[in-house]
Amino acid sequence: MRRADTKNEPAVYRRVVLKNASPYHYMKVCLVLEDESTRLSAVDLKQFIVTGLKSLYGEVGAALTFDLLKYDEDSLTALLRVYSRGLVKLWSSLTLLGSYQNQTCAFRVLQVSPFLLALTGNSRELQLD
Amino acid sequence: MSVFMDLNLSFTAERSRLKTLIETAAHLGFSTVAINYVFEPATKKKQEIPTPTPIKELIDELPVVQGRYRPIRVLNRLTVVMSDSSHFRPNAAEYRCFDLLSVQPTTEKLFHAACMIYDVDIICISVTEKLPFFFKRAPVNGAIDRGVVFEVSYSAAIRDSTRRRYTIANAISLMESCKGKNVILSSAAEKPLELRGPYDITNLGLLFGLSDRDAKEAVSSTCRSVVLHAETRKSASGIVYTMKTCSESSSQQEAPPADSGEAPAAKRAKLHLTD
Repeated sequence: MRRADTKNEPAVYRRVVLKNASPYHYMKVCLVLEDESTRLSAVDLKQFIVTGLKSLYGEVGAALTFDLLKYDEDSLTALLRVYSRGLVKLWSSLTLLGSYQNQTCAFRVLQVSPFLLALTGNSRELQLD
Repeated sequence: MSVFMDLNLSFTAERSRLKTLIETAAHLGFSTVAINYVFEPATKKKQEIPTPTPIKELIDELPVVQGRYRPIRVLNRLTVVMSDSSHFRPNAAEYRCFDLLSVQPTTEKLFHAACMIYDVDIICISVTEKLPFFFKRAPVNGAIDRGVVFEVSYSAAIRDSTRRRYTIANAISLMESCKGKNVILSSAAEKPLELRGPYDITNLGLLFGLSDRDAKEAVSSTCRSVVLHAETRKSASGIVYTMKTCSESSSQQEAPPADSGEAPAAKRAKLHLTD
């Protein structure tokens, strides 16, 4: 917004709306497996997600670029970065992924945000005392 | 914005599995779920309509919904799979035990009847086979006017890829007729891992041809209107509701009308608005 100057002009307001200003969206996802002792490496996880994209959207969908920024092997929690344009595709393929190596699985999407900083905390787990 | 609901959790006789299913739904953020009893009448022999197990018997303590700090609400729902018009009995007393009533018509004629005449809340769209008929605009509009909603369930799409194709194809074909109005998305999950969170389903709705807004309404406010529609079914035109009170505690009231049945007899609403 432009600041109203000190002159005697009436203040001029300009509304600035940024639509999809951020090029990326960040997703925090957690993989839940039927057999909780199964371990996945980061490479396995990315390969698994690409398989899901490919089964839902074909080769064109598998060409969608996304990055696995961070991955915690113990809790199977990952941070994904995807172009905002590809968010719906990636998200829906994660939703429809139902089995990993013949065992049922589910991706729980914990948080989605255009800002990486927003994923540092989760307001839903906030305990207000 | 109204709360999230998942109006289709498959009933299983296993209590522990049903319990984990409800707990998972609560953890994902659903404030209301409905346990679905499927009734599929066969042509030859007469079958019993299932009676709902009271929620108190199923689960001792209702889990708290994530982020809302109040226990989840659990409803009972009956789905009648119809292949003949005699399968749905409009005034059956057994239907009254259920909070929600839905039908799954398998022919075009029955679909038309379900949309225009039958006093139901939900019409299920088949997702496991290629659509046996085309959704015509007239019955779909009639259903929308009456407040009946269409349900697309997504767990078949998670289970295997052929059904995923049918789910998406049937859903898109429905959206072409109803333009995203009066659609709910529900899980029909049997296992906890087949459930998805409300925002995941909203995103999935975009894939089914819903707009952003309609997709969100499909898991929240449309579901709420279904539950309210179901309540009007039990009352006289949605205005007067009768219930049995204990005879001693309400002695100051006037004498109740002679009522021998166990369920209060409700006056039925006029249905033929569209005729």
